[in-house]
Amino acid sequence: MTAVRAPATARPAPAERGHLRAVARLLRLELRHNATPWMLPVAVGLFWFTTYRKATAMPPLWYPRAASLHTGALLAFACPVAGAAAWMGSRDRRRRTTDLMMTTAQAHWVRLLVTWTATTCWAIVGYLGCVAILYGVTARQASWGGPLWWPVAVGAASLPALSAAGLATGTLAPSRFTAPLVAVGAFFALALSTQPIRGSRSYWQISPVVSGPWDDGSDPGVATFYPYLPDLSIAQVMFLTGLTIAILGALALHAGGGRRLRPTAAACAAVGLLTAGTAVMLAGTGRLDSHGMIAIPALHDAANDRPLRYTPVCSRTAIPVCLNPAYTSYLPVTAAALTPVLNEIAGLRAAPGRISQAAANYHQDTGNSVSVSMAGPPHSSTPPVFRTLLPFQLSGPTMTTSELTAAVRSTAGPDLVADVIGDGPGATPAQQAVAAALRMSAGLPEAVLRSAPTRQRPNGAIVPLPVPVQAAARRFAALPAPARHAWLERHLAALRAGRITLAQVP
Amino acid sequence: MNVEMTGLIRRFGRTMAVAGVDLQAGPGVFGLLGPNGAGKTSLLRMMATALRPTSGTLRLLGRDPGSYGPRREIRRRLGYLPQNLGYYPGFTVAESVEYFALLKEVPAARIPGAVAAAIERVELGGQAKAKLRALSGGMLRRAGIAQAIVNEPELLLLDEPTAGLDPEQRVAFRALLRGLGRHATVVVSTHLVEDVGAACTQVGLMDRGRIVFHGTPADLTARGEGHGTGDAPLERGYSAVLAEARS
Repeated sequence: MTAVRAPATARPAPAERGHLRAVARLLRLELRHNATPWMLPVAVGLFWFTTYRKATAMPPLWYPRAASLHTGALLAFACPVAGAAAWMGSRDRRRRTTDLMMTTAQAHWVRLLVTWTATTCWAIVGYLGCVAILYGVTARQASWGGPLWWPVAVGAASLPALSAAGLATGTLAPSRFTAPLVAVGAFFALALSTQPIRGSRSYWQISPVVSGPWDDGSDPGVATFYPYLPDLSIAQVMFLTGLTIAILGALALHAGGGRRLRPTAAACAAVGLLTAGTAVMLAGTGRLDSHGMIAIPALHDAANDRPLRYTPVCSRTAIPVCLNPAYTSYLPVTAAALTPVLNEIAGLRAAPGRISQAAANYHQDTGNSVSVSMAGPPHSSTPPVFRTLLPFQLSGPTMTTSELTAAVRSTAGPDLVADVIGDGPGATPAQQAVAAALRMSAGLPEAVLRSAPTRQRPNGAIVPLPVPVQAAARRFAALPAPARHAWLERHLAALRAGRITLAQVP
Repeated sequence: MNVEMTGLIRRFGRTMAVAGVDLQAGPGVFGLLGPNGAGKTSLLRMMATALRPTSGTLRLLGRDPGSYGPRREIRRRLGYLPQNLGYYPGFTVAESVEYFALLKEVPAARIPGAVAAAIERVELGGQAKAKLRALSGGMLRRAGIAQAIVNEPELLLLDEPTAGLDPEQRVAFRALLRGLGRHATVVVSTHLVEDVGAACTQVGLMDRGRIVFHGTPADLTARGEGHGTGDAPLERGYSAVLAEARS
């Protein structure tokens, strides 16, 4: 140490002009020494393990993957980010720098704000990196549609809130145990926040991990025939922004400052609480709309109720099978699954000119159960189109190609045969026999034992066909395909009208 | 006067740490001596605006630290080295000093020069890029002094600044103190009476929360002539004053 360089006589002047520049330099230092980058590998690892693997195993559709990202990425980032923020908030106490920091001119809340900004920036960089990877992969795989940004916005708005909550807890209750407790607490708070949800009118839907009708899952068919509804996401972003502002305002109040700061901080806290409260109320007015998403009347844009325009992709089968372009990758499987049935009915007068994929219709039942049916009638007369729901539109277990083929064949196939032959409730024995024979010829499972799908009893049991009907069906199925087809060409109108008896079936 | 206090009291529950101190100090180095628990650190923390007085009046650099605006002005012109120096181990020496320069609102354009000068003055130029966790206790103390002087304070408060410094560094530090004391009020709380003798122009001796002696080091030495115990003249003055105060 030397006294040769004696202190200059100039006094430190107030740094009002360079205040922003100084804050920027503080931010640079905080970014460099923030705990969040150390936690990002944990968050990214959790994201990969819990979300990325699951999402990429899903159909290459934007909605289910965005919904998975919405919930999964947030849970993956919640613990590391809240914990890191709490660690930063408790830093002065842990490092015994409280006195030293207290005697500096810069307001405490500015330092807290800079620390929060640095923590949030790192968290958002990590989160957006994960989004970029998942959306990049999806963009390469998806055949139609584009990225959904509202779910990303909810995740991005959650991180500042988690960071603020962690920082506030770390500042108010500083100890070395605060960070792990906050990390665990953040996970449980998010995970448990969905437990009280009952139906689509629940206030708890405001929880940022909720991406759609709770317990219904993210149906792959949602947001392909109708636009994605951002209503719930908008309410969640409102809630999270309000929560962040409220926490930061309360933190500034606690940190103290000049006469101007206190009313400003109090106003921020009040505005934040009001915004968050309004968002909760809005979420409580939500309802499951018929397209499978939560609509909030006050935030709803009627333009989103109009169906999306698209050019279907069609197969080159005897009867074209046409799908929404989002499901292009499913076309070969669907066409292959239905080809045996299509070959049986192609050329018949009652056969449809095209098989078309239909949108699903959702209805909220009691509790969290949702019933799904096909939107609209199964067929339209001009042009003759047979419309059907396909299994890959609905949520369910991931299937192999052979499983998917079997599922398509066993759901759409019997419906199609029944539609052409006139099988169904009130069908004559002849209609039942011919329909069963066609199903058998097309290789459909349980073709003889079961009747048309609509003949199921309310408890789901399948009604076996009477023995004479089974015998006639076996007889008709044993005919060569051209003979069957020729007979059907001649007698289909009479068969559909119920004028053919069982004895007349060859 | 840069420091003016009248009847300053600070209580912690039933304990009266500072029991009515009257003190004025202008530019120069003021040594604050006293046994453990005398109230030196509490008095220094009040001067550092880290602790509010229970009662009494305190004016620092001509301002009242009780209100926000003047307190902020004081803090811009204040340097403080606490007894238990906390630090962020991941910061380098330069980053740590820059951090405090920013918090003390040193004009942004002056910060790089001020940081380099402060580090040079504590002879840590070679370790400017070393992380604080890698420094020895003495080096850490010097890094703490660097942060305290980076804003060229008008009021510099140092609590046990020479703890952990080797003899050579202590000699250099005393020279630094004398240089700083030419323009600023430097208050040094210490147990080491030789530091006071070598660097201070004024000395105060605290016991049981009160200033029991205020004068020059020579005055304190004189009080010990023929009385007290100790190896050095100042130590004899120190023990004589304490014995007199307690009798």
